[in-house]
Amino acid sequence: MNYAIETINLVKRYPTKARRGVRPGPGVHAGRRIDSFGGLFGTIVTRHGAFIEALRGVNLKIKEGEVFGLLGPNGAGKTTLIKILCTLVIHDEGQAYVHGFDVKKQPTEVLKNLQAILPESRGFDWRLTGRQNLEFYALLYSVPDKEAKERIDYLLDFTGLKERADDGYQRYSTGMQRKLLLCRALLRNTPTLLFDEPTAGLDPAAAAEFRSLLRDRLARGEGKTILLSTHNLDEAQDICDRVAILNRGKILACDTPSNIQRLMFDKRTLRVTFIGAVSGEPQEKMLKELKGIAGVNDATPDIGRDNSFQGVSIQGDKDTDLSAILAVIVNKGLKIGGVNTEEPTLEDVFMHLTRRQTE
Amino acid sequence: MKLPVELKQIIAFTKRDFYSWTTYRTAVITQLINVFIGVFSWGVSATYVQKPVQEMYNSDYVSFLVVGIAISNLIMPLAQGIERQLNPWTLETVLMTGIKTPVFVIGNIMWTYIFSVFTFIPYLLIGTYFFGAKLNANIPCVIVAFIISAAILVGLSMISTGLRVVTKATDPITWMINVLQNLLSGVSFPVVYLNTIFFPGFSTISWFLPQTWVYHLCRLAMLTDPSLLNLSTVLEFLKGSAFAIILLPLGYRVLRWGIVRSKREGTLGWY
Repeated sequence: MNYAIETINLVKRYPTKARRGVRPGPGVHAGRRIDSFGGLFGTIVTRHGAFIEALRGVNLKIKEGEVFGLLGPNGAGKTTLIKILCTLVIHDEGQAYVHGFDVKKQPTEVLKNLQAILPESRGFDWRLTGRQNLEFYALLYSVPDKEAKERIDYLLDFTGLKERADDGYQRYSTGMQRKLLLCRALLRNTPTLLFDEPTAGLDPAAAAEFRSLLRDRLARGEGKTILLSTHNLDEAQDICDRVAILNRGKILACDTPSNIQRLMFDKRTLRVTFIGAVSGEPQEKMLKELKGIAGVNDATPDIGRDNSFQGVSIQGDKDTDLSAILAVIVNKGLKIGGVNTEEPTLEDVFMHLTRRQTE
Repeated sequence: MKLPVELKQIIAFTKRDFYSWTTYRTAVITQLINVFIGVFSWGVSATYVQKPVQEMYNSDYVSFLVVGIAISNLIMPLAQGIERQLNPWTLETVLMTGIKTPVFVIGNIMWTYIFSVFTFIPYLLIGTYFFGAKLNANIPCVIVAFIISAAILVGLSMISTGLRVVTKATDPITWMINVLQNLLSGVSFPVVYLNTIFFPGFSTISWFLPQTWVYHLCRLAMLTDPSLLNLSTVLEFLKGSAFAIILLPLGYRVLRWGIVRSKREGTLGWY
């Protein structure tokens, strides 16, 4: 099997300002050595003894032509992983390969096979036009002149920027700037593309257009391997063949979105709404009683704007006895207006897994 | 007394900038010391403004100063070229293109250098026609001097950039080099005067500074009509070349080190 991207026990630690003598917290190790001055002066032990672990043994295998989503909360390590793959950050332990090339030892070969779109690293000259900016980067990528001209025309057309290609970059909207980033990443026509939060900051229409561009034209149309990091679970569910949930530098789950949902297949959420609002003591007792029913994991009140108790959400096993739940509610004198059962979404799994790890 | 809200807002801006300024600790210290260095440097120049510079270049002070200022204008952008181009937006993106480090360095300097060459000529013309500066240049020697100077400055520029990629602000080594240049490399007074100011033999220190050689070789080529067939001239150029030969690979190494260190610490995109 050829993997576009493969990481084996990837570990990345960042030095932190915490001094020696400070007890390391979770994910922090004291007393590490770091290489300094690239061998010119040899290895130096720094006075700062603590490091934060951004990645803790990440193992990933992404097949060629796959659209892979990296899901995780802020600080999960998504950007670190992407930057390691595009050679902008050097990892401490483990291996990372892009189309078989080692990111640490063969960065030049890696960059011939992969391009990344990092929204914060625009690198465009604001005074130049979109086309001039692309021509500049085509030269840096060593794309031959004739090929570069054809490719730029194609990409401007591909992304719908052709009409505005000769406008100054400073006149571009956020969506257009993001498209120009995509054009630049596609200049070299590499088989693999990395996107860090590709639709962050875009309005819903622009985000949908960008997603369609990724899924329909790049992945399905051109067969490119795409790795994208996102907070947006709908986005991941919509365009990814597989997703990995990353939290605190560890992969918690890695599978197709539907299989990941099945991780909680034996769970469901029951939402009961009441007729008329309730308040006061009885709800606390009722929630306690609900949580005591066999198979119920959690029961949370649905509170209205006026602070009234309008319903209850119950998370539990799929085979929980609903009549016992409803009996508790009826016995408290509440009138039931509606009962809905919901299958777990990717978001539920994400929240469940990341919360569990935090706890 | 109640302050008007506009005044409070102005104070808020000032406080914000002050706090930001104090976070760059090295820069704060170097900026303060620079004030004293500037006063000293121009004080020395003023003291010796009327004295001849026969000892070194067989020329007058105005010619010496005009050439010095013109060269300073030519070399300063060269030394600052890459630093000015460095920002979080460009560095990561440019490195991802996989271009070679020397191409990155020279590419970022080239336009600034070309522009400096154009502005170098008006300096000389104004100096010559309005202030009576007398140039006695040998064109082949000027070209060789410029090439050696450019190599020295590219080396220094790479060192400075490599350190700046790590420190994100003024690095002490670059600052020290600049301070020593202002004090000891003879921008506006011949270095031999240092023996009079401090103690005999003090000017020897100057000859260990690469910038001294930049000014010296350019002045030699533009004021004394030297010949590349003259052994003493060739010897001066060889001494200058030695700095270039050391600084170019050293600069390359330091720049590479800075980038690798920054990648290890994950701070490449920080400024």
